[in-house]
Formats: sequence, structure tokens, C-alpha cells
Amino acid sequence: MKTATRGSFKVYATGEHREGVCEKCHIKLIKEFYMDGDRKRVRMVCPECGGMGRLIAKTFSIQPPNPPQCLSFRCLYRFFMDTLFCALLSNYHRRRVAYAEINRHKEILERYRTGEPSPSSILGAIVANMKLRCPICRKYNYF
Amino acid sequence: MGQTQTVLDQGITELILLWREETATGMESIVALNMATPCTAVVGSTFADPADTATHHTDGGLTIQAIDTVGGTTVNTAGDTITFDHVFTATGTKNVAGIHVCNNDDDVAFIECCFNAVLPMENTDTLTIDGQSTINQA
Repeated sequence: MKTATRGSFKVYATGEHREGVCEKCHIKLIKEFYMDGDRKRVRMVCPECGGMGRLIAKTFSIQPPNPPQCLSFRCLYRFFMDTLFCALLSNYHRRRVAYAEINRHKEILERYRTGEPSPSSILGAIVANMKLRCPICRKYNYF
Repeated sequence: MGQTQTVLDQGITELILLWREETATGMESIVALNMATPCTAVVGSTFADPADTATHHTDGGLTIQAIDTVGGTTVNTAGDTITFDHVFTATGTKNVAGIHVCNNDDDVAFIECCFNAVLPMENTDTLTIDGQSTINQA
């Protein structure tokens, strides 16, 4: 599979999938505009309690690594490691979102719904992938 | 493959037309992509031909519609970023593989985003999109 993106013209986007009915009041959420600093934003809220509906899954935006800036071993090695990390992180979030969606009516760890905390190192990404693959490990939040 | 997102060739062409003050319109619409498996965003996708075998949703609350908010902000240098937020509310059971952000004439896609995994939406489910595009001058 081949993908192409632009190094200097980037897009970041996330999708937050939630239930449209308040879990506490059991009424339909309504659209609300609000200010986040200077940015006008939108969200769905419960008109009674202000709840936002139960989160099912939130996608995670991953940017491909920048191409190497020189041909030295150090630059190429860094690019290789960045690429490896990107691949592991992509794999983790792909599996995490699919897992959260399949288990939308079940209780699972919140980290698999929100994507936070996201692995920040190659080792962390390997462990997160292994943990997500193991039906027993992914029930516990011990690391 | 994880989530992929990119500015499309077609979107850049539309941007250049805007700079030249020729017939073009700005970011105005958004539509959800329909596909049973995750898609991969590519720069060559177009409004009429999204990534892989994805198509635009034509019903179920996920059809092409005006973006709720579009604004400008700063990431690296003043005003280098356009931000957009939108909420889709599903009115049936639908799969969402990603989104297209389109122009006002609904004939050009600026941005294509394919999510980490397909999101199976059920009736009344909401999908909140938080997006930004930055021309990185750093």
C-alpha cells in the first residue's frame, strides 16, 4: 500500500464518536457552539446536565516522519527509527479504535476509547500493541 | 495502516484559483466517506473519486453539509492555519471511513481524511470532527 502526504502543508483531523443520548438523563443531545480561546467550536451536550454522551472511540491523527535532511548515518538512522515508531503507533491506534468500536456496549479501559495516553516511544508502542493483543492484559491499567 | 490525511491536488488547484481571483470558492462543506473497510488518503483523490472504493454518504445524516465552524489560527507563524469543527448526527446505521472537506460549490475536495478504523454509526450517534490544516513555514 502506498500513501503520499505533503511535508509542508499538513492536515490534522480527529473524529470523536459518541452516543447521541445522554447516559444520565436519557435525552437527546443538542448542538452547542462555544469559544475555545479565539476559536469558535461546536459540540453536542445534554440540555439538562451538560453531559456530552458516552464516548465510543476517538481517532488519532498520526503524521508521517519528515524525510532525512542529510545522508549521514545519524540522519538515516533517525529517519528509520521515526518511520518504525510511526508504523507501530499507526498499528496501535488502528487496532485500538477497532477494539473500542467492537466493544461499544461493554466496559473497557478508557485509554482505548480516548487514545490517551498515546505511546511516545518505540518500546512503549511495542508494549501497547502486545497488551492490546492479549485479552487478559488489556483489561488492566497497570502500565 | 493507521489514520491518513492530506491536502488534495484538487484542493491546491482550487486554492491557486482563489489567489488568482478566478472562479473558485473556499472551504465550506463536509461529507462523510462510506466504505466497509478503512481507506488510505491519497493526494490524487477528487471530490468525485475518493480514496480506494469509498463514496460519499448520501443519506443518514452524513451527507454533504455546511461545516459548523471554520476559522483561522496560528501554529508556527501568524495566521498559518485554518481550523474547522463539525458534528455529524447519524439517523441510521452507517459506516464512516473518513471525511472530505469541500468547497462551497460542492465540486472540489480540499482535504481527505481516512480514520484509523471504520466507525460503525448507529441511529442518533454523533461524530465530532476537529480539524486543522497548516502551511508549515518553520
